[in-house]
Amino acid sequence: MIEVRNLSKYYGNLCAVNGISFSIKEGEIVGFLGPNGAGKTTTIRILTCFQPATTGSASVAGHDVFTESMAVRAQVGYLPESVPLYQEMRVREYLRFRGKIHGLERTARERAIQRVAERCWITDVINRPIGQLSKGYRQRVGLADSLLHNPRVLILDEPTIGLDPTQIRATRTLIRELAQDHTVLLSSHILPEVEATCKRIIIINQGRIVASGTPTELRQRITGDSELIAEFKGSTEEIAAGLQKLDGVSRVETTMRDGWTRVTVTTQKDVREEIYKLSIEKGWPMRELRRDVATLEDFFVKIVAGARDMDTASVGAGDKR
Amino acid sequence: MRNTTAIMQRELLSLFFSPIGYIVIAGFLLITGVIVLVTESFGPGKPATLRSVFDFTPYVLTIIIPAISMRTISEEYRSGTIETLTTAPVSDMQFVVGKYLAALIFYAIMLSGTLVYLVLMMRFGNPDVGASLAAYFGLLLLGVSFTAFGVFTSSLTHNQIVAWMLGMVPLMLFVWFAASIVGKIEGVPRQLFQQVNILRHLDQFNRGLVSTEGVVFFAATAVLFLFLAVKVVESRRWR
Repeated sequence: MIEVRNLSKYYGNLCAVNGISFSIKEGEIVGFLGPNGAGKTTTIRILTCFQPATTGSASVAGHDVFTESMAVRAQVGYLPESVPLYQEMRVREYLRFRGKIHGLERTARERAIQRVAERCWITDVINRPIGQLSKGYRQRVGLADSLLHNPRVLILDEPTIGLDPTQIRATRTLIRELAQDHTVLLSSHILPEVEATCKRIIIINQGRIVASGTPTELRQRITGDSELIAEFKGSTEEIAAGLQKLDGVSRVETTMRDGWTRVTVTTQKDVREEIYKLSIEKGWPMRELRRDVATLEDFFVKIVAGARDMDTASVGAGDKR
Repeated sequence: MRNTTAIMQRELLSLFFSPIGYIVIAGFLLITGVIVLVTESFGPGKPATLRSVFDFTPYVLTIIIPAISMRTISEEYRSGTIETLTTAPVSDMQFVVGKYLAALIFYAIMLSGTLVYLVLMMRFGNPDVGASLAAYFGLLLLGVSFTAFGVFTSSLTHNQIVAWMLGMVPLMLFVWFAASIVGKIEGVPRQLFQQVNILRHLDQFNRGLVSTEGVVFFAATAVLFLFLAVKVVESRRWR
Protein backbone atom coordinates (compact mmCIF):
# COMPACT_ATOMS: atom_id res chain seq x y z
CA MET A 1 0.00 0.00 0.00
CA ILE A 2 2.92 2.29 0.76
CA GLU A 3 6.23 1.70 -0.99
CA VAL A 4 9.27 3.79 -0.23
CA ARG A 5 12.52 3.22 -2.09
CA ASN A 6 15.81 4.97 -1.30
CA LEU A 7 14.06 8.14 -0.34
CA SER A 8 16.25 11.13 0.53
CA LYS A 9 15.43 14.71 1.30
CA TYR A 10 17.93 17.52 1.65
CA TYR A 11 17.14 21.01 2.88
CA GLY A 12 20.07 22.85 1.40
CA ASN A 13 23.03 20.92 2.79
CA LEU A 14 21.06 19.48 5.66
CA CYS A 15 20.05 15.89 5.14
CA ALA A 16 16.70 15.24 6.76
CA VAL A 17 16.02 11.81 5.28
CA ASN A 18 18.88 9.67 4.08
CA GLY A 19 17.99 6.90 1.65
CA ILE A 20 15.25 5.11 3.54
CA SER A 21 13.24 2.23 2.15
CA PHE A 22 10.26 0.43 3.60
CA SER A 23 6.94 -0.95 2.55
CA ILE A 24 3.59 -1.20 4.24
CA LYS A 25 1.00 -3.75 3.22
CA GLU A 26 -2.71 -3.18 2.96
CA GLY A 27 -4.45 -3.29 6.33
CA GLU A 28 -1.25 -2.95 8.36
CA ILE A 29 -0.89 -0.49 11.19
CA VAL A 30 2.67 0.71 11.35
CA GLY A 31 4.35 3.01 13.83
CA PHE A 32 7.01 5.38 12.66
CA LEU A 33 9.15 6.01 15.67
CA GLY A 34 12.07 8.30 16.27
CA PRO A 35 13.30 11.17 18.38
CA ASN A 36 12.39 14.72 17.44
CA GLY A 37 14.12 15.77 14.24
CA ALA A 38 14.71 12.20 13.05
CA GLY A 39 12.99 12.81 9.72
CA LYS A 40 9.52 11.44 10.47
CA THR A 41 7.56 14.51 9.45
CA THR A 42 9.68 15.01 6.35
CA THR A 43 9.02 11.44 5.21
CA ILE A 44 5.32 11.85 5.92
CA ARG A 45 5.17 15.12 4.01
CA ILE A 46 6.72 13.41 1.01
CA LEU A 47 4.20 10.57 1.22
CA THR A 48 1.29 13.02 1.39
CA CYS A 49 2.59 15.00 -1.63
CA PHE A 50 3.24 18.15 0.40
CA GLN A 51 6.93 18.16 -0.48
CA PRO A 52 8.95 16.38 -3.13
CA ALA A 53 11.80 14.03 -2.32
CA THR A 54 15.31 15.01 -3.39
CA THR A 55 16.04 11.50 -4.64
CA GLY A 56 14.33 8.15 -4.51
CA SER A 57 10.70 7.31 -5.05
CA ALA A 58 7.57 6.63 -3.06
CA SER A 59 4.17 5.35 -3.99
CA VAL A 60 0.92 5.19 -2.10
CA ALA A 61 -1.94 2.89 -3.14
CA GLY A 62 -0.06 2.11 -6.35
CA HIS A 63 0.36 5.73 -7.43
CA ASP A 64 3.65 7.58 -7.49
CA VAL A 65 3.56 10.54 -5.12
CA PHE A 66 5.29 12.82 -7.57
CA THR A 67 3.82 11.96 -10.96
CA GLU A 68 0.33 10.93 -9.82
CA SER A 69 -0.03 13.31 -6.94
CA MET A 70 -3.78 13.89 -7.34
CA ALA A 71 -4.55 10.15 -7.28
CA VAL A 72 -2.45 9.74 -4.14
CA ARG A 73 -4.10 12.70 -2.43
CA ALA A 74 -7.55 11.23 -3.10
CA GLN A 75 -6.53 8.00 -1.35
CA VAL A 76 -4.80 9.47 1.68
CA GLY A 77 -6.25 10.90 4.86
CA TYR A 78 -3.64 13.06 6.53
CA LEU A 79 -3.48 14.58 9.97
CA PRO A 80 -0.50 16.95 10.16
CA GLU A 81 1.35 17.34 13.43
CA SER A 82 0.17 20.90 14.11
CA VAL A 83 -3.48 20.07 13.23
CA PRO A 84 -4.03 23.20 11.15
CA LEU A 85 -7.68 24.27 11.09
CA TYR A 86 -9.54 27.44 10.17
CA GLN A 87 -10.20 28.92 13.60
CA GLU A 88 -13.06 31.14 12.47
CA MET A 89 -15.15 28.33 11.00
CA ARG A 90 -17.62 26.13 12.80
CA VAL A 91 -16.80 22.44 12.89
CA ARG A 92 -19.65 21.51 10.55
CA GLU A 93 -18.76 24.29 8.09
CA TYR A 94 -15.18 23.14 8.09
CA LEU A 95 -16.07 19.51 7.45
CA ARG A 96 -18.47 20.59 4.68
CA PHE A 97 -15.69 22.54 3.04
CA ARG A 98 -13.31 19.62 3.30
CA GLY A 99 -15.98 17.30 1.92
CA LYS A 100 -16.47 19.58 -1.07
CA ILE A 101 -12.80 19.68 -2.00
CA HIS A 102 -12.72 15.91 -1.72
CA GLY A 103 -15.48 15.82 -4.30
CA LEU A 104 -18.30 14.52 -2.10
CA GLU A 105 -21.82 15.37 -3.28
CA ARG A 106 -24.22 16.98 -0.85
CA THR A 107 -25.97 13.87 0.51
CA ALA A 108 -22.81 11.80 0.62
CA ARG A 109 -21.09 14.72 2.32
CA GLU A 110 -23.69 15.10 5.05
CA ARG A 111 -23.66 11.36 5.65
CA ALA A 112 -19.86 11.35 5.82
CA ILE A 113 -19.88 14.25 8.29
CA GLN A 114 -22.40 12.38 10.45
CA ARG A 115 -20.23 9.26 10.29
CA VAL A 116 -16.91 10.86 11.20
CA ALA A 117 -18.47 13.10 13.85
CA GLU A 118 -19.80 10.04 15.65
CA ARG A 119 -16.62 8.10 15.16
CA CYS A 120 -14.43 10.88 16.57
CA TRP A 121 -16.87 11.99 19.29
CA ILE A 122 -17.31 15.53 18.07
CA THR A 123 -21.11 15.52 17.65
CA ASP A 124 -21.51 17.73 20.72
CA VAL A 125 -19.24 20.46 19.34
CA ILE A 126 -20.26 20.23 15.70
CA ASN A 127 -21.84 23.70 15.69
CA ARG A 128 -19.12 25.45 17.69
CA PRO A 129 -16.41 27.65 16.20
CA ILE A 130 -13.15 25.73 15.97
CA GLY A 131 -11.26 28.58 17.64
CA GLN A 132 -13.18 27.96 20.87
CA LEU A 133 -12.40 24.26 21.06
CA SER A 134 -9.89 22.66 23.39
CA LYS A 135 -6.76 21.04 22.00
CA GLY A 136 -8.30 17.60 22.40
CA TYR A 137 -11.37 18.48 20.38
CA ARG A 138 -9.31 20.15 17.66
CA GLN A 139 -7.22 17.03 17.37
CA ARG A 140 -10.40 15.02 16.89
CA VAL A 141 -11.77 17.47 14.35
CA GLY A 142 -8.51 17.04 12.44
CA LEU A 143 -8.85 13.28 12.65
CA ALA A 144 -12.50 13.48 11.53
CA ASP A 145 -11.37 15.56 8.58
CA SER A 146 -8.78 12.98 7.57
CA LEU A 147 -11.46 10.25 7.62
CA LEU A 148 -14.09 12.20 5.73
CA HIS A 149 -13.45 10.80 2.27
CA ASN A 150 -12.97 7.29 3.62
CA PRO A 151 -9.35 7.06 2.48
CA ARG A 152 -7.59 3.75 2.02
CA VAL A 153 -4.50 5.06 3.75
CA LEU A 154 -4.41 7.10 6.93
CA ILE A 155 -1.26 9.02 7.76
CA LEU A 156 -1.20 10.51 11.22
CA ASP A 157 1.69 12.69 12.37
CA GLU A 158 1.98 12.63 16.16
CA PRO A 159 -1.76 12.15 16.67
CA THR A 160 -1.74 12.29 20.46
CA ILE A 161 0.69 15.13 21.04
CA GLY A 162 -0.69 17.68 23.49
CA LEU A 163 -3.57 15.55 24.70
CA ASP A 164 -4.28 14.65 28.31
CA PRO A 165 -3.92 11.01 29.44
CA THR A 166 -7.62 10.18 29.09
CA GLN A 167 -7.74 11.62 25.61
CA ILE A 168 -4.55 9.81 24.66
CA ARG A 169 -6.09 6.51 25.67
CA ALA A 170 -9.31 7.26 23.79
CA THR A 171 -7.39 8.31 20.68
CA ARG A 172 -5.29 5.14 20.74
CA THR A 173 -8.42 3.02 20.96
CA LEU A 174 -9.88 4.95 18.06
CA ILE A 175 -6.76 4.48 15.94
CA ARG A 176 -6.79 0.74 16.63
CA GLU A 177 -10.41 0.62 15.52
CA LEU A 178 -9.62 2.60 12.40
CA ALA A 179 -6.90 0.15 11.51
CA GLN A 180 -9.60 -2.42 10.79
CA ASP A 181 -10.74 -0.49 7.71
CA HIS A 182 -7.68 1.53 6.76
CA THR A 183 -3.96 1.09 6.32
CA VAL A 184 -2.45 3.28 9.01
CA LEU A 185 0.97 4.91 9.27
CA LEU A 186 1.39 6.72 12.52
CA SER A 187 4.38 8.68 13.71
CA SER A 188 5.42 9.33 17.24
CA HIS A 189 8.42 10.04 19.39
CA ILE A 190 6.75 8.32 22.32
CA LEU A 191 7.40 4.63 22.40
CA PRO A 192 4.54 3.28 24.53
CA GLU A 193 2.20 4.97 22.14
CA VAL A 194 3.49 3.04 19.16
CA GLU A 195 3.77 -0.13 21.19
CA ALA A 196 0.16 0.17 22.27
CA THR A 197 -1.31 0.77 18.83
CA CYS A 198 0.94 -0.68 16.15
CA LYS A 199 1.56 -4.15 14.83
CA ARG A 200 4.89 -3.15 13.36
CA ILE A 201 7.42 -0.48 14.24
CA ILE A 202 9.92 1.31 12.07
CA ILE A 203 12.53 3.15 14.09
CA ILE A 204 14.17 6.06 12.39
CA ASN A 205 17.03 8.19 13.62
CA GLN A 206 19.00 10.92 11.89
CA GLY A 207 17.21 10.23 8.64
CA ARG A 208 17.95 6.50 8.57
CA ILE A 209 15.96 3.43 9.50
CA VAL A 210 17.81 1.87 12.39
CA ALA A 211 15.45 -1.01 13.13
CA SER A 212 12.10 -2.40 12.19
CA GLY A 213 9.89 -5.29 13.19
CA THR A 214 7.06 -6.23 15.49
CA PRO A 215 7.34 -5.08 19.10
CA THR A 216 8.11 -8.68 20.13
CA GLU A 217 10.85 -9.06 17.53
CA LEU A 218 12.46 -5.82 18.56
CA ARG A 219 12.31 -6.83 22.20
CA GLN A 220 14.01 -10.14 21.49
CA ARG A 221 16.67 -8.45 19.47
CA ILE A 222 17.76 -6.30 22.38
CA THR A 223 17.59 -8.90 25.05
CA GLY A 224 19.84 -11.48 23.44
CA ASP A 225 21.01 -12.27 26.93
CA SER A 226 18.00 -12.13 29.19
CA GLU A 227 18.06 -11.86 32.92
CA LEU A 228 16.37 -14.20 35.36
CA ILE A 229 15.80 -13.14 38.91
CA ALA A 230 15.24 -15.69 41.66
CA GLU A 231 15.26 -15.78 45.45
CA PHE A 232 16.07 -18.91 47.45
CA LYS A 233 16.78 -19.80 51.02
CA GLY A 234 20.00 -21.75 51.35
CA SER A 235 23.75 -21.52 51.17
CA THR A 236 24.72 -18.72 48.86
CA GLU A 237 27.82 -20.49 47.49
CA GLU A 238 25.93 -23.67 46.82
CA ILE A 239 23.19 -21.84 45.02
CA ALA A 240 25.61 -19.85 42.90
CA ALA A 241 27.58 -22.96 41.99
CA GLY A 242 24.44 -24.94 41.20
CA LEU A 243 23.00 -22.30 38.92
CA GLN A 244 26.30 -21.69 37.18
CA LYS A 245 26.28 -25.30 35.99
CA LEU A 246 22.97 -24.93 34.16
CA ASP A 247 23.10 -24.94 30.38
CA GLY A 248 23.31 -21.48 28.81
CA VAL A 249 24.04 -19.56 31.96
CA SER A 250 26.83 -17.06 31.47
CA ARG A 251 26.85 -15.18 34.75
CA VAL A 252 25.40 -15.48 38.24
CA GLU A 253 25.30 -12.68 40.77
CA THR A 254 24.07 -13.05 44.31
CA THR A 255 23.02 -10.68 47.02
CA MET A 256 21.60 -11.33 50.46
CA ARG A 257 18.27 -9.92 51.38
CA ASP A 258 16.72 -10.51 54.80
CA GLY A 259 17.94 -14.08 54.99
CA TRP A 260 17.14 -14.93 51.36
CA THR A 261 19.65 -15.20 48.59
CA ARG A 262 18.71 -13.10 45.61
CA VAL A 263 20.26 -14.33 42.36
CA THR A 264 20.49 -12.55 39.06
CA VAL A 265 21.23 -15.03 36.28
CA THR A 266 22.37 -13.85 32.89
CA THR A 267 21.49 -16.42 30.27
CA GLN A 268 20.96 -16.97 26.57
CA LYS A 269 17.97 -19.23 27.06
CA ASP A 270 15.02 -19.35 29.34
CA VAL A 271 16.15 -21.73 32.09
CA ARG A 272 13.34 -21.07 34.53
CA GLU A 273 12.16 -24.66 34.42
CA GLU A 274 15.65 -26.00 35.19
CA ILE A 275 15.99 -23.56 38.07
CA TYR A 276 12.70 -24.75 39.50
CA LYS A 277 13.73 -28.39 39.20
CA LEU A 278 17.08 -27.62 40.80
CA SER A 279 15.45 -25.92 43.76
CA ILE A 280 13.21 -28.93 44.35
CA GLU A 281 16.13 -31.33 44.04
CA LYS A 282 18.30 -29.37 46.46
CA GLY A 283 15.44 -28.49 48.75
CA TRP A 284 15.92 -24.72 48.53
CA PRO A 285 12.70 -22.90 49.29
CA MET A 286 12.03 -20.43 46.49
CA ARG A 287 9.91 -17.27 46.80
CA GLU A 288 10.52 -15.58 43.48
CA LEU A 289 11.41 -16.53 39.95
CA ARG A 290 10.94 -14.22 37.05
CA ARG A 291 12.35 -13.30 33.69
CA ASP A 292 13.26 -9.69 33.24
CA VAL A 293 12.16 -8.83 29.74
CA ALA A 294 13.70 -5.61 28.56
CA THR A 295 11.17 -3.00 27.59
CA LEU A 296 11.10 -1.49 24.17
CA GLU A 297 11.87 1.78 25.87
CA ASP A 298 15.35 0.44 26.71
CA PHE A 299 15.76 -0.63 23.14
CA PHE A 300 14.69 2.71 21.79
CA VAL A 301 16.99 4.61 24.11
CA LYS A 302 19.88 2.29 23.28
CA ILE A 303 19.33 2.60 19.56
CA VAL A 304 19.02 6.33 19.58
CA ALA A 305 21.96 6.78 21.93
CA GLY A 306 23.94 4.22 19.93
CA ALA A 307 23.32 5.91 16.64
CA ARG A 308 24.33 9.16 18.19
CA ASP A 309 27.89 8.06 18.76
CA MET A 310 27.65 6.22 15.44
CA ASP A 311 28.85 2.72 14.75
CA THR A 312 29.18 1.94 18.43
CA ALA A 313 25.53 0.94 18.20
CA SER A 314 25.75 -2.79 18.56
CA VAL A 315 22.10 -3.50 19.11
CA GLY A 316 19.75 -3.72 16.20
CA ALA A 317 21.78 -1.32 14.12
CA GLY A 318 22.93 -2.60 10.78
CA ASP A 319 19.39 -3.70 10.12
CA LYS A 320 18.20 -2.42 6.78
CA ARG A 321 21.24 -0.30 6.32
CA MET B 1 -14.39 24.19 -10.83
CA ARG B 2 -16.09 22.84 -7.74
CA ASN B 3 -12.84 23.07 -5.81
CA THR B 4 -12.35 26.67 -6.90
CA THR B 5 -15.90 27.52 -5.80
CA ALA B 6 -15.46 25.74 -2.48
CA ILE B 7 -12.22 27.60 -1.75
CA MET B 8 -13.79 30.89 -2.82
CA GLN B 9 -16.81 30.40 -0.57
CA ARG B 10 -14.64 29.49 2.38
CA GLU B 11 -12.40 32.49 1.86
CA LEU B 12 -15.36 34.88 1.59
CA LEU B 13 -16.76 33.43 4.78
CA SER B 14 -13.45 34.09 6.54
CA LEU B 15 -13.26 37.62 5.13
CA PHE B 16 -16.69 38.39 6.52
CA PHE B 17 -15.89 36.72 9.83
CA SER B 18 -12.71 38.65 10.44
CA PRO B 19 -12.81 42.22 11.72
CA ILE B 20 -10.40 43.20 8.94
CA GLY B 21 -13.16 42.80 6.34
CA TYR B 22 -15.46 45.25 8.09
CA ILE B 23 -12.66 47.67 8.90
CA VAL B 24 -11.67 47.77 5.24
CA ILE B 25 -15.24 48.33 4.05
CA ALA B 26 -15.88 50.99 6.70
CA GLY B 27 -12.59 52.73 5.89
CA PHE B 28 -13.27 52.74 2.18
CA LEU B 29 -16.82 54.03 2.51
CA LEU B 30 -15.69 56.69 4.98
CA ILE B 31 -12.98 57.95 2.65
CA THR B 32 -15.22 57.97 -0.43
CA GLY B 33 -17.86 59.74 1.67
CA VAL B 34 -15.35 62.39 2.61
CA ILE B 35 -14.30 62.70 -1.05
CA VAL B 36 -17.93 63.31 -2.01
CA LEU B 37 -18.10 65.93 0.72
CA VAL B 38 -14.90 67.85 0.00
CA THR B 39 -15.32 67.82 -3.78
CA GLU B 40 -18.79 69.22 -3.22
CA SER B 41 -20.15 66.82 -5.83
CA PHE B 42 -23.63 67.54 -4.55
CA GLY B 43 -23.07 71.32 -4.33
CA PRO B 44 -25.77 73.55 -5.80
CA GLY B 45 -25.10 74.60 -9.36
CA LYS B 46 -22.42 71.90 -9.88
CA PRO B 47 -22.67 69.50 -12.81
CA ALA B 48 -24.48 66.28 -11.89
CA THR B 49 -21.48 63.98 -12.13
CA LEU B 50 -19.35 61.83 -9.85
CA ARG B 51 -16.21 62.46 -11.93
CA SER B 52 -14.24 63.87 -9.02
CA VAL B 53 -15.09 60.83 -6.87
CA PHE B 54 -14.01 58.47 -9.63
CA ASP B 55 -10.79 60.45 -10.10
CA PHE B 56 -9.80 60.13 -6.45
CA THR B 57 -10.85 56.54 -5.81
CA PRO B 58 -7.86 54.83 -7.55
CA TYR B 59 -5.49 56.51 -5.08
CA VAL B 60 -7.48 55.11 -2.18
CA LEU B 61 -7.64 51.68 -3.77
CA THR B 62 -3.84 51.37 -3.89
CA ILE B 63 -4.07 51.03 -0.10
CA ILE B 64 -7.43 49.32 0.28
CA ILE B 65 -7.13 46.49 -2.25
CA PRO B 66 -3.85 45.09 -0.89
CA ALA B 67 -5.54 45.13 2.53
CA ILE B 68 -8.31 42.90 1.16
CA SER B 69 -5.98 40.47 -0.57
CA MET B 70 -3.14 40.42 1.98
CA ARG B 71 -4.51 37.50 4.01
CA THR B 72 -5.60 35.28 1.13
CA ILE B 73 -2.51 33.08 0.80
CA SER B 74 -0.19 34.32 3.55
CA GLU B 75 -2.70 33.32 6.21
CA GLU B 76 -2.71 29.76 4.83
CA TYR B 77 1.06 29.65 5.25
CA ARG B 78 0.94 31.15 8.74
CA SER B 79 -1.77 28.89 10.12
CA GLY B 80 -0.36 25.82 8.36
CA THR B 81 -3.69 25.12 6.66
CA ILE B 82 -1.76 25.14 3.38
CA GLU B 83 -0.67 21.66 4.41
CA THR B 84 -4.16 20.17 4.64
CA LEU B 85 -5.29 22.10 1.61
CA THR B 86 -2.49 21.11 -0.74
CA THR B 87 -2.53 17.50 0.38
CA ALA B 88 -6.20 17.32 -0.62
CA PRO B 89 -6.95 16.79 -4.30
CA VAL B 90 -6.86 20.51 -5.13
CA SER B 91 -4.55 21.91 -7.79
CA ASP B 92 -2.44 24.97 -7.05
CA MET B 93 -4.31 26.87 -9.73
CA GLN B 94 -7.72 26.08 -8.24
CA PHE B 95 -6.34 27.20 -4.91
CA VAL B 96 -4.99 30.54 -6.17
CA VAL B 97 -7.98 31.30 -8.39
CA GLY B 98 -10.44 30.49 -5.60
CA LYS B 99 -8.63 32.86 -3.27
CA TYR B 100 -8.48 35.52 -5.96
CA LEU B 101 -12.19 35.32 -6.79
CA ALA B 102 -13.10 35.64 -3.11
CA ALA B 103 -11.02 38.81 -2.74
CA LEU B 104 -12.46 40.17 -5.99
CA ILE B 105 -16.06 39.51 -4.96
CA PHE B 106 -15.36 41.16 -1.63
CA TYR B 107 -13.99 44.18 -3.48
CA ALA B 108 -17.07 44.30 -5.75
CA ILE B 109 -19.35 44.21 -2.70
CA MET B 110 -17.36 47.02 -1.12
CA LEU B 111 -17.43 49.08 -4.30
CA SER B 112 -21.17 48.61 -4.68
CA GLY B 113 -21.55 50.50 -1.39
CA THR B 114 -20.68 53.70 -3.24
CA LEU B 115 -23.56 53.17 -5.69
CA VAL B 116 -25.64 55.02 -3.12
CA TYR B 117 -24.13 58.31 -4.38
CA LEU B 118 -25.13 57.53 -7.93
CA VAL B 119 -28.66 56.70 -6.80
CA LEU B 120 -28.85 59.94 -4.80
CA MET B 121 -27.57 61.91 -7.75
CA MET B 122 -30.22 60.35 -9.99
CA ARG B 123 -32.80 61.32 -7.39
CA PHE B 124 -31.74 64.96 -7.23
CA GLY B 125 -30.28 65.58 -10.65
CA ASN B 126 -29.81 64.12 -14.07
CA PRO B 127 -26.37 62.51 -14.29
CA ASP B 128 -25.06 60.66 -17.32
CA VAL B 129 -25.80 57.14 -16.11
CA GLY B 130 -23.95 55.48 -18.99
CA ALA B 131 -20.74 57.37 -18.25
CA SER B 132 -21.04 56.57 -14.55
CA LEU B 133 -21.51 52.88 -15.25
CA ALA B 134 -18.48 52.95 -17.54
CA ALA B 135 -16.49 54.51 -14.70
CA TYR B 136 -17.71 51.80 -12.33
CA PHE B 137 -16.70 49.20 -14.88
CA GLY B 138 -13.28 50.82 -14.98
CA LEU B 139 -12.95 50.65 -11.20
CA LEU B 140 -14.02 47.02 -11.29
CA LEU B 141 -11.33 46.29 -13.88
CA LEU B 142 -8.82 48.14 -11.74
CA GLY B 143 -9.82 45.76 -8.94
CA VAL B 144 -9.39 42.75 -11.25
CA SER B 145 -5.81 43.82 -11.83
CA PHE B 146 -4.86 45.13 -8.35
CA THR B 147 -6.38 42.14 -6.57
CA ALA B 148 -4.31 39.76 -8.69
CA PHE B 149 -1.23 41.73 -7.73
CA GLY B 150 -2.29 41.61 -4.07
CA VAL B 151 -2.81 37.84 -4.18
CA PHE B 152 0.63 37.51 -5.75
CA THR B 153 2.31 39.51 -2.95
CA SER B 154 0.31 37.48 -0.41
CA SER B 155 1.80 34.31 -1.87
CA LEU B 156 5.32 35.59 -1.14
CA THR B 157 5.15 35.75 2.65
CA HIS B 158 3.45 34.23 5.66
CA ASN B 159 3.04 37.67 7.22
CA GLN B 160 -0.09 39.62 6.30
CA ILE B 161 1.43 43.01 7.03
CA VAL B 162 4.43 42.25 4.86
CA ALA B 163 2.05 41.15 2.10
CA TRP B 164 0.14 44.40 2.48
CA MET B 165 3.26 46.57 2.23
CA LEU B 166 4.61 44.55 -0.71
CA GLY B 167 1.30 45.11 -2.46
CA MET B 168 0.73 48.70 -1.46
CA VAL B 169 4.09 50.33 -2.10
CA PRO B 170 4.47 49.42 -5.80
CA LEU B 171 0.84 50.29 -6.48
CA MET B 172 1.23 53.65 -4.75
CA LEU B 173 4.43 54.45 -6.64
CA PHE B 174 2.73 53.52 -9.86
CA VAL B 175 -0.55 55.33 -9.38
CA TRP B 176 0.38 58.31 -7.25
CA PHE B 177 3.43 59.39 -9.18
CA ALA B 178 2.64 58.06 -12.65
CA ALA B 179 1.75 61.46 -14.06
CA SER B 180 4.94 63.16 -12.88
CA ILE B 181 7.11 60.24 -14.00
CA VAL B 182 5.64 60.35 -17.49
CA GLY B 183 6.43 64.05 -17.61
CA LYS B 184 10.08 63.45 -16.70
CA ILE B 185 11.04 60.74 -19.17
CA GLU B 186 11.25 60.72 -22.94
CA GLY B 187 11.50 58.48 -25.96
CA VAL B 188 10.87 54.78 -25.83
CA PRO B 189 10.73 54.54 -22.00
CA ARG B 190 8.02 57.18 -22.08
CA GLN B 191 6.01 55.22 -24.65
CA LEU B 192 6.45 52.06 -22.63
CA PHE B 193 5.41 53.76 -19.47
CA GLN B 194 2.36 55.22 -21.17
CA GLN B 195 1.27 51.71 -22.06
CA VAL B 196 1.34 50.56 -18.45
CA ASN B 197 0.04 53.86 -17.04
CA ILE B 198 -2.94 52.75 -14.99
CA LEU B 199 -4.46 56.19 -14.63
CA ARG B 200 -4.39 56.82 -18.36
CA HIS B 201 -6.35 53.62 -18.97
CA LEU B 202 -8.74 54.42 -16.17
CA ASP B 203 -9.31 57.96 -17.39
CA GLN B 204 -10.90 56.64 -20.57
CA PHE B 205 -13.48 54.77 -18.52
CA ASN B 206 -14.09 57.86 -16.40
CA ARG B 207 -14.90 59.76 -19.54
CA GLY B 208 -17.50 57.10 -20.35
CA LEU B 209 -15.33 55.27 -22.85
CA VAL B 210 -15.07 51.49 -22.53
CA SER B 211 -11.92 50.80 -24.52
CA THR B 212 -10.71 47.39 -25.58
CA GLU B 213 -7.19 48.53 -24.83
CA GLY B 214 -8.13 49.22 -21.21
CA VAL B 215 -10.01 45.94 -20.77
CA VAL B 216 -7.11 43.98 -22.26
CA PHE B 217 -4.57 45.84 -20.12
CA PHE B 218 -6.30 45.13 -16.81
CA ALA B 219 -7.24 41.55 -17.71
CA ALA B 220 -3.72 40.76 -18.95
CA THR B 221 -2.01 42.09 -15.84
CA ALA B 222 -4.44 40.06 -13.72
CA VAL B 223 -3.57 36.88 -15.64
CA LEU B 224 0.15 37.66 -15.35
CA PHE B 225 0.12 38.10 -11.57
CA LEU B 226 -2.17 35.12 -10.99
CA PHE B 227 0.19 33.03 -13.06
CA LEU B 228 3.11 34.25 -10.93
CA ALA B 229 1.18 33.51 -7.74
CA VAL B 230 0.50 29.94 -8.92
CA LYS B 231 4.20 29.54 -9.67
CA VAL B 232 5.18 30.83 -6.23
CA VAL B 233 2.77 28.40 -4.54
CA GLU B 234 4.06 25.60 -6.78
CA SER B 235 7.67 26.45 -6.02
CA ARG B 236 7.16 24.88 -2.59
CA ARG B 237 7.17 21.56 -4.40
CA TRP B 238 10.63 21.91 -5.88
CA ARG B 239 12.35 24.15 -3.36
